[in-house]
Amino acid sequence: MLSRKTCETAARPDQWVLIARDSLLELPKKPGDGTFFTRLRNPSTGEGALFLFSSCAQQLFEIKVFNEDYHSWFIGQTVQHDGRLFFATPMDALFLILYYLIKAEKEQGKFQPVDQVIVDEEFPSSHILLQCTQAVQSLHHVTEEKEIGSKKFYKYNKEKTLKWLKKKVVQTVKALKTNNVCVGSAVQSSTFIRSRQILDVTEEDYTRYAHGLISEYIPEDLSADLLKYLELPELSKPVAQPPVKKRKLSDKPVEAKEDYTLFNSTDLNKKKPSNKMTAAQKSLAKVDKSGMKNISSFFSIKSVSKK
Amino acid sequence: MMCENQPGTLIKLDLGSLTQAAHDAVHLLPCEIQYNGHAAVDKYFIPTIHQGASAKEVSFRGRPLKGQEIKIPAGYVGLVLEENHKPCSEEKGRTVCMKSTFLSFTQWNLETLPSADDCAVMSLMWPKISKAIHQPVDNEE
Repeated sequence: MLSRKTCETAARPDQWVLIARDSLLELPKKPGDGTFFTRLRNPSTGEGALFLFSSCAQQLFEIKVFNEDYHSWFIGQTVQHDGRLFFATPMDALFLILYYLIKAEKEQGKFQPVDQVIVDEEFPSSHILLQCTQAVQSLHHVTEEKEIGSKKFYKYNKEKTLKWLKKKVVQTVKALKTNNVCVGSAVQSSTFIRSRQILDVTEEDYTRYAHGLISEYIPEDLSADLLKYLELPELSKPVAQPPVKKRKLSDKPVEAKEDYTLFNSTDLNKKKPSNKMTAAQKSLAKVDKSGMKNISSFFSIKSVSKK
Repeated sequence: MMCENQPGTLIKLDLGSLTQAAHDAVHLLPCEIQYNGHAAVDKYFIPTIHQGASAKEVSFRGRPLKGQEIKIPAGYVGLVLEENHKPCSEEKGRTVCMKSTFLSFTQWNLETLPSADDCAVMSLMWPKISKAIHQPVDNEE
């Protein structure tokens, strides 16, 4: 059975279902411009991940995968065994640049032009980050600047970065609220729990959830610093607030366990401290990390036909 | 690991292929089908879909399924991408084409009635949340 599947898979062209921002489809105006998939360094894990870049829009897109077990697609008059659903959403390239600024600060600790900072032999495509105009113009959010002659020099600044990240958290909290995302510890397991949760949800739940989402784009140390900066108590030593505690006790086992295995099994090399992983990330967790690892291998011919 | 995915490789998305892309009906099925390729979906699956009391219903492999139509969020488009491998010219750049486009798809459940709590529906919230994470912050202090 397995070997037959292998043959069929190998014989067919590879195919994916992707939900993409429509601006991605803009046709290039200049020759040489275009849209392509490439691997860049994931700023949270430091490992390679797949991104989409449109050089005409000067925009980077993040690729995430939504993956439920035991699903397949019918597309027109065909069957697609791979039931995953991919997303290509615009991404703030400053997160990726920030990774290199922090690295440069650790290694050289001096003011440098940004094109000297973003040098990565392992990921030669990284230079495309310099084409993300919006991000390059936003460097002042995370650096101190110096202008000498006509050239600009940058140096990572942690305080400014935390301030910038806090704004990101605040605008994410806003979106979570307007979109009615359940951020309590038991999400979506039943309508009963859901409606109960809405009553229970605190401002802290929202902030913590948003912090978790933002942490997917920043190094671990910075995520821990951001947690402090947001004045969020660490989850490992919960304050003895009876109602909160009760909710956590009663609801967490339902979802949390599943959640953790989900994260751990898909993100093989990276163990995150558990205080960052609230069970509340449930709904978006499925969209989240699994893709970063999986999609790369699915865009490679060998691993697909091997499977 | 590195030889598996040459990190410098760019995989081109052929935007020109959009004009030839089909508009296929797309269904997400709650089972794994160990097959890729042609199937007479129009002949055996589509005609048996009917509107039930509270959801679309269909019978597939003797199992009743309940389904709902899911719209792709505004500003987004559903694409079926395809890479045709040419084993001999692997060195030359790789290209992915757009085979089909869609603005909604039907999601099918086995037992449970489709609802806004279904994972596939939840996943479509991602573009909105992602937008909040990635949009530029206000400049003022």
